[in-house]
Amino acid sequence: MEQDAQLVQQCLQGDGSAWEELVRRHSRRIFNICYRFTGNRTEAEDLSQDVFLRVYRTLGSYRSAHGGFATWMTSVTRNLLIDHYRRTKRDRATDSLDDAMPVVENKESVGRRPDEQALLGELSAQVQAALTHLSPELREAVILRDLQQLEYSEIQAVLAVPEGTVKSRINRGRIELARILQQMGVRPS
Amino acid sequence: MNWTCEQTEQLLTDYLDGLLPADEQHAFNLHVNSCERCTPLVSSVTHAMNSLRGLPELETPPRLVYHILDATLGPRETVSGWAAFLSWLRGFASPRFAYGAVSMAATFLMVVTVSGSINWKKPKLSDLAPSNIYRNTNRQVHLAYARGTKYVSDLRVVYEIQSRLRQDNDLPANRENTTPENKPTPGRTDGSGPASPRQQNRANDVSSQLQVLAEEVPLLSGKLSLVLLEGRTR
Repeated sequence: MEQDAQLVQQCLQGDGSAWEELVRRHSRRIFNICYRFTGNRTEAEDLSQDVFLRVYRTLGSYRSAHGGFATWMTSVTRNLLIDHYRRTKRDRATDSLDDAMPVVENKESVGRRPDEQALLGELSAQVQAALTHLSPELREAVILRDLQQLEYSEIQAVLAVPEGTVKSRINRGRIELARILQQMGVRPS
Repeated sequence: MNWTCEQTEQLLTDYLDGLLPADEQHAFNLHVNSCERCTPLVSSVTHAMNSLRGLPELETPPRLVYHILDATLGPRETVSGWAAFLSWLRGFASPRFAYGAVSMAATFLMVVTVSGSINWKKPKLSDLAPSNIYRNTNRQVHLAYARGTKYVSDLRVVYEIQSRLRQDNDLPANRENTTPENKPTPGRTDGSGPASPRQQNRANDVSSQLQVLAEEVPLLSGKLSLVLLEGRTR
């Protein structure tokens, strides 16, 4: 975290290599948040680029005293994702649960048999499809908690809502996700 | 504590994240274990949460970082010569590509070595020609087959010899031969065998008697003496 703050200071002084280092350190995490939220690689790539552009432009407004750089960046990402969701809401109005099955992911699982890998890939695709059917408020809450493994206080900072609301959204998000997965025929073994 | 289904649903996240106090967790467990509605709820939500946590972290697309840097710092200077080549090589530095390349190289080396295509003491470029590799591999396969066939055939011969020897050893007559030859025979002190000398003496007696008879009977002497003489010379 301190290293991030130091890199930000160097960036503000015009050090391009410090910015490159910040991009390399955070691009994977930001890309994953975007992908899990949209369920689309191309959109996730474009959105990640937009996130870094906005961060680059507003880097001067970051204050390390207000929290970690990663939390601040996640907050920028979340705002952009919500904007994007609102912009593209009309396009998704016709989407249904049946036609939203994404491409089966390639899980990096060294030592697993091909049939196990295929099963895991199928499950991942189903979970991703279920995730994109959650409302944006519930989706961002479960992504931050269960995928990004953030603490409640960090999620509270990112979403700018009270802790009780964070807990309630995570709770409802998980229950809703379980219900959608059951509708898709994915049940606990 | 009187626990309700509504409480289970409201505090499910606290329970799953281990945030419930001990007494509430106990009451939660007691209720869930006996409630037909809450048992599947907790089970399905736990499964959904674990599935979500098991989702893989995706690799960043390689071009993303360059696009971001181009969009923020401006287009980078075009590199040429060795710098461009090294930059191109860096693109192959992903672990998956390296693993695949090493596996392929190892497989190729194994095939080439087993086929005997390359003499490692004096390697030649022509050894790597596909036709040479094919010819040598084919030769090695046939040699291996011929050696295998010969080995199996040798094994059969050895086994047959062994089994015959074993059969011979098992015969009763041969078993007698295994008794010591110098074993003293009762009633004999010269150590000679009981049967063969006697039979030989008898045969000699018969032939001498026949010879005498032939000399005494002139009519038969021609043919018989001839027969006897032939018999003796054999």
